[in-house]
Amino acid sequence: MFDIAILGAGNVGANAAFYIAERGIGSVGMYDPKEGLAQGKALDLMEAAPVRGYQFAVGAIDKVSDASKAKVVVIAAGAVRAPGTERSALLAENREIVAAAAAELSGYGGVVLIASEPVDELVALFVAKSGLPRTRVLGIGGHLDSQRLRMQVSQQLGVSAENVTATVVGSHDAAGMIPLFGYTRISGVPAATLLNDAQRKQVSEATLQAADRIVEGLQRSAGYYGAAAAITDLCQAVVGDTRRIVSAQVVLDGEYDQTGVALSLPVVLGATGAVRVLTPDLSEAERSAFVAAASAQRELVK
Amino acid sequence: MKVSIIGAGNVGASAAYFVSKLNLAEVVMVDVVPGLPTAKGVDFSHGWASERVRVTTFGSNDYESIKGSDVVVHTAGIARKPGMDRMDLLKTNVGIAKQAGQAIAKYAPDATVIAVANPLDVIAMVCLRETGFPSHRVVGMAGILDTTRFRYFIAEALDVLPEDVMAMVLGGHGDSMVPLARYTSVGGFALSELLDQQKIDAMVMRTRKGGAEIVNYLKTGSAYYAPAASVAKMVEAVITDNKRFVAASAYLDGEYGYSGIYLGVPVLLGAGGVEKIYELELTPEEKTALDDSAAHVREGVTTLDSIYQS
Repeated sequence: MFDIAILGAGNVGANAAFYIAERGIGSVGMYDPKEGLAQGKALDLMEAAPVRGYQFAVGAIDKVSDASKAKVVVIAAGAVRAPGTERSALLAENREIVAAAAAELSGYGGVVLIASEPVDELVALFVAKSGLPRTRVLGIGGHLDSQRLRMQVSQQLGVSAENVTATVVGSHDAAGMIPLFGYTRISGVPAATLLNDAQRKQVSEATLQAADRIVEGLQRSAGYYGAAAAITDLCQAVVGDTRRIVSAQVVLDGEYDQTGVALSLPVVLGATGAVRVLTPDLSEAERSAFVAAASAQRELVK
Repeated sequence: MKVSIIGAGNVGASAAYFVSKLNLAEVVMVDVVPGLPTAKGVDFSHGWASERVRVTTFGSNDYESIKGSDVVVHTAGIARKPGMDRMDLLKTNVGIAKQAGQAIAKYAPDATVIAVANPLDVIAMVCLRETGFPSHRVVGMAGILDTTRFRYFIAEALDVLPEDVMAMVLGGHGDSMVPLARYTSVGGFALSELLDQQKIDAMVMRTRKGGAEIVNYLKTGSAYYAPAASVAKMVEAVITDNKRFVAASAYLDGEYGYSGIYLGVPVLLGAGGVEKIYELELTPEEKTALDDSAAHVREGVTTLDSIYQS
């Protein structure tokens, strides 16, 4: 059986399979309702294996229930954004797909990573419909946003992105995304020491608008390389039980007095999912933005 | 691209391994011991097919082999034994570094030099004097090693991935080094949010004596895996110009109030070597500790000066 199952063999799913194969994390099985798509992309990848030296197989799975034997299930199915797509429209379009997957995986013993949009609402929906513990159902949006902030900070300072650690909490949309500069550092040095107010504002805005910029460029699709890289990081942490600290959407259970909605917070990620959910010390403004993001979600799913 | 490593002992050969694995440059080890570097080069090459290394790695007894290097790493010298201080190595290793420095100036005049032999901050100074290179092209490897040890101890205590811990260690590469807990973070969290002061203090102490801990285990030598891995990070930064923000031993000309010594400080490392030195704000306690560390390095430089005059 496969170590990692990916539901959805579109741009995000297939590129995640590609990155996972390149990094040698484990075997990958893709599923797609569109007949032949997962099989075709898997075969294409395996035909690159002799040249690229892949250590693990990439294949296709025939039905969603086959995913239940994997250590990680990635949900990358459903519609993606186009310019001007409303969050509510995406939710309406994707909720049935995700609810159906949740029903199939109700007794699942591994970790579910959700990439489908809107990721915050879909993480909460998946937990509600599957009955899985909240620590085993996480969204990739927080890590993707943190990755984008890292890139912005590194470009602003002209230092390698590998030296930047960044934390973004809240929701995975410009309205509720909260870059935490108090938890963003460059080789341990607080961001505030090296970035002035204007620079912080600039990188913050660029991070908030990152997804829109890509959609504007691609027109017919949302970004997928960054998302695939974020998925790969999270899969690696689970398969290798590496205890990596990543921001991820998680159903809240009293954090900042919020319960039942899913927003991004830093978690320690291992084989059993979120081993710990961390609660950064938020400023008053950050805290009210976080609470507002939670309220917006309650409003949207009503 | 070409990287030369002077000294094919444990540090030099391990560095040759890590640098070769980057697949970025041809690697040459030079050592005075007859046959040793050649043997290690051939031995490595036998494994390269399975290690997927596509660059050549070889050894030589002739300094001329470093000709045209983009980076030269100076590791040659004697290593510590239990009970020894890094400064005890000074006299012997200065003599070796002088020869190496002159060879670098002659055969690799455009190289960036990374000093690794101990006492590190003094040996870097010898490399600077003997090559006559601008100071940004002569840098000492200590900060990445000291921080990687500190990062590992923290990750081990918190059961998190070592890669997620970021740290800053200033000062000379000796027991007086200054690990800055305030500039150390775990996934963006300040260290003080996750560990109590007593535990932090213990890890700071362990970091300062990190090299000695290994020496005491090994009895007949000192650490080489972590030092060599740290060397490869610096080589990679220079070759790829990836602008690493790291601690390294840099020649100071007024920064932090010191002049004329090498000391561990945060730098921007790229194709130009030390492209920038960052001056962090320090508390009075941190500055006092750094003063103390700088004084130790200066003592070493004074000894060095007396060797030069004699």
